[in-house]
Amino acid sequence: MTLSPVKQTLRYDQVSCRLQVEGLPDVSIGQGGEALGIITGWSLRWSGRPELEGRKDHLLALMAVVLPYARHLISGVARPFGGPDSPVTIAPREQGGHNLELRSSQPDVAPLTVELDDAELADLVRVLDQLRLDPRLQVKLELPEPQPLHPREVLERVPLRRRLVAPVGGALAVAVAAALGLLLPEPRPLPPSPEAPLSPEAVQQRGEP
Amino acid sequence: MPQAPAAPEPPAASQLPPLSRRGLERLDLLLLSAEALDLNGGEAMVWMSEQLGFTGLFANRVELWKRRCHNPLRRATRRGDLSPAETDALIRILSALADRLYPLLRALLSSAEPEPVRLQRWQLFEGRLAELVRERMNPRRVGVQTLLDPQRGERQRRQLIRALAYGAGNGGYERLRASLHDPVV
Repeated sequence: MTLSPVKQTLRYDQVSCRLQVEGLPDVSIGQGGEALGIITGWSLRWSGRPELEGRKDHLLALMAVVLPYARHLISGVARPFGGPDSPVTIAPREQGGHNLELRSSQPDVAPLTVELDDAELADLVRVLDQLRLDPRLQVKLELPEPQPLHPREVLERVPLRRRLVAPVGGALAVAVAAALGLLLPEPRPLPPSPEAPLSPEAVQQRGEP
Repeated sequence: MPQAPAAPEPPAASQLPPLSRRGLERLDLLLLSAEALDLNGGEAMVWMSEQLGFTGLFANRVELWKRRCHNPLRRATRRGDLSPAETDALIRILSALADRLYPLLRALLSSAEPEPVRLQRWQLFEGRLAELVRERMNPRRVGVQTLLDPQRGERQRRQLIRALAYGAGNGGYERLRASLHDPVV
């Protein structure tokens, strides 16, 4: 008689959302007990919003965009994550907050956009953190470690107009100073004073030794 | 008494360079924001340091305070760098404090909260932060003046709360640490 592995459910709750991950221990590599080595499905419930469900790939895609997005927000850089081919994208909204867009792998299913405020995004980040740091989850997630920003990203954090103020202002100041300098009349050469000592050239011109 | 956090692994030898002066400034301002959210924040910081096993690095509150004084905006600023182990420990303490204060941070950031209540929460936080900044920071520094300015400093104060919310907990530690090591341009 063989025993089938027991289905495991991991659940993480925050005020606005609940993440539930279901799976099985991978008995082929000796996992047992409470371990979850194979993710069979997951769901994310939002209060007052449609429930999101998906496979392991979708969950990984969600983590791969939401966590770096939050990392950049800590540095004050709000930029979109996830390209047009990615099943999940997240981007800042002009009027404040964030747009999380999920594209189904099923054809003819329109993308679902969830609008999140800062608190809801923080809740989502926390449930994803709880999941990835849960010792019961024994799946290699392959998420990149957070890194310091590139100098270019730090520069772009400041709006272009504000970045240009100093160099443009400096160039203008130099140009105005140069223009004013050109307006000043050239000083006339002073006539030689009779009492002034003569230069050797002037002495030679007069024919004196 | 708040519940003791799960003991993290001891601070690993950092692969990142020592924290820049700008990083130290941000780290101290984030710790100050945590203090502004919690009236007993100073005590909580010492307690958290002990709970996380950092008594070897910060033997007492004075040692902890001396490390924080490396912030160049302080009235009595200290020169020199902090060791990576010390900065990592301070970031761990900050993440643990933010985790403990998460309900307050969330309430400040939530748009679902009634507007008058949210505004009152922000006023309380900003008032307390301004009090702490005036008490400890050099008022001649432009950074301090901007932070205290009701209009010009609003974005920065909101950014401090956001950084605490996204950097809360063990998961947030890595994000905070990476952010504090951002290059200075």
